[in-house]
Amino acid sequence: MSATTPVPAPTAAYRITPARVLRSEWHKLWTVRSTWITLVTSAAFLLGVGILMGATYTSDGGDSDVDTVVLSLYGSQLGGVCLAVLGILVTAGEYATGMIRASMTAVPRRLPVLGAKAAVFTAVVFAVSFVTALITFLTAQIFFSGTDQAASLTDDGVLAAIAGNATGVTLLGVIALGLGAALRSVPGAVGAFIGGVMVLPEILGMLPYEAVETAVRYFPTQAAGALGSADPMPGAATPGAALFALFLWAAATLAVPALLLKRRDV
Amino acid sequence: MIRAEELTKRYGDRTVVQDLSFTVRPGTVTGFLGPNGAGKSTTLRMLLGLDAPTRGHSTVAGRAYATHPAPLTQVGALLEARSLHPGRSAFHHLMALAHTHGIPRARVEHVLGLTGLTDVAGRRVKGFSLGMGQRLGIAAALLGDPATVVLDEPVNGLDPDGVLWIRTLLKSLAAEGRTVLVSSHLMSEMALTADHLIVIGKGRLLADTTVSALVREAGGASVRVVTPEADRLRALLPTSPHPDAQITAEGPDTLRVTGLDAAAIGHTAAAHGVPLHELTPQTASLEQAFMDLTHDSLEYQGAAA
Ligand SMILES: Nc1ncnc2c1ncn2[C@@H]1O[C@H](COP(=O)(O)OP(=O)(O)OP(=O)(O)O)[C@@H](O)[C@H]1O
Ligand SMILES: [Mg+2]
Repeated sequence: MSATTPVPAPTAAYRITPARVLRSEWHKLWTVRSTWITLVTSAAFLLGVGILMGATYTSDGGDSDVDTVVLSLYGSQLGGVCLAVLGILVTAGEYATGMIRASMTAVPRRLPVLGAKAAVFTAVVFAVSFVTALITFLTAQIFFSGTDQAASLTDDGVLAAIAGNATGVTLLGVIALGLGAALRSVPGAVGAFIGGVMVLPEILGMLPYEAVETAVRYFPTQAAGALGSADPMPGAATPGAALFALFLWAAATLAVPALLLKRRDV
Repeated sequence: MIRAEELTKRYGDRTVVQDLSFTVRPGTVTGFLGPNGAGKSTTLRMLLGLDAPTRGHSTVAGRAYATHPAPLTQVGALLEARSLHPGRSAFHHLMALAHTHGIPRARVEHVLGLTGLTDVAGRRVKGFSLGMGQRLGIAAALLGDPATVVLDEPVNGLDPDGVLWIRTLLKSLAAEGRTVLVSSHLMSEMALTADHLIVIGKGRLLADTTVSALVREAGGASVRVVTPEADRLRALLPTSPHPDAQITAEGPDTLRVTGLDAAAIGHTAAAHGVPLHELTPQTASLEQAFMDLTHDSLEYQGAAA
């Protein structure tokens, strides 16, 4: 037995490139079950709740003023939590298993690993969320036809809201991914996401200060909500401002672990 | 070639590695030896850029590990702690690492074969035995066909077959001209595998030597002689041409001789007709040498020690 039996490729061709790190992260994502479980569960929530909303809807049920897209995609709140968990598993999960040591030994400059994780996650989660949201909207419309929630994809703002919904859950997931990378603990990051991203703004919103109320509009969950609405919601940020705010939140949550990554021991 | 220069690592106010300098050369197996908690794993993590040294630095082939464009071709490492996702199969684990460097699937299959994992490559690592996990770690280390191989306690948990396999593998890697650094806290294992030894205790360098030199320093070789004419033989032995020769009486008819080999003693005895009942060369136990060397730097000393 010898390690020098002819190797298939000349070693000189082996080299790290950004595209290869992306490829590696893509491979990692699809070769663990948790990815499939969280993606399928999130899609099932979205579609299931959408069908439930459609099947139980009556025009005089008191929901007439709810935005059609918001109503159809109501399940994206639960589905979004699954996607956030996936984001956390992608980063903090590697610290839990120890895989991070192999990843960082292979790519010791470290930052490309985090960047590739965020890029692959964003692309996959957006694609899955957008397609599922489209299917869910169309399915819910089968039930909505003939009610005051009847709408079509070509109606003003509908397609943009469906894309906005997918963008919203994707960027919330990126925030979760960033929290996972910064905290390096799956339970810690799940707690921080639920407490800091989902619950905290709700509590702040109850405070009787107008400035706080205005500020809360630009918090991640609220901004994501505004993005997924076909008609502008009263008391919400405009879609453009919401997208910008959400993007900043995601960028900031990624910047923290990116800065720490270079300094901390693995 | 690995070079460490004044590597120092502090965790909080505990200095775990202190001013550690050494060079590991290609072509031989270098043992990295020290009792539990000596700082071996910490030092190896610093070499691989996983832990940043508090002071000092280290290079692989002349530059810091992290600055190599293809680090996996420079150093292949088996770390002490598990470094994989238990839910991923052995093949996909290696393939994910291979992708970062553009290493082809054929090479992944090659190292799987080399480590005897071909048949279980599709199985999730979760179900692997300790030995199979260790083999997978070694497969990962060999993935980039690296010039340097660093293995942290590779024989831990292996059965005798596995230990023998590692020993043979390490020697063949060194024979191919690679740099091989392998840590252990077992002197006996290192004596069989390594040519060169770097011994540390409490984070400090205790010895940078060869196995044979260590034996010599630690009391060296001696010869036990049993003869009914001990006093006469003692007077006859040619100590004057060997100033460092020493003879001590261990009993009424037993002598321990250092600085003279068994042949010289036997010839002298024969020439003068001294009957010998026993003439036994004895090497100081390596384990004893190691314990003498590290005794003062034991991190966790048993109550009876
Ligand atoms: N991340 C850390 N934080 C704090 N202390 C640490 C850390 N890593 C290691 N240590 C301490 O540093 C010392 C050296 O540990 P290290 O694992 O390097 O020893 P070792 O020589 O590999 O021991 P062993 O033979 O048991 O593997 C130990 O006392 C350990 O408790
Ligand atoms: Mg160790």
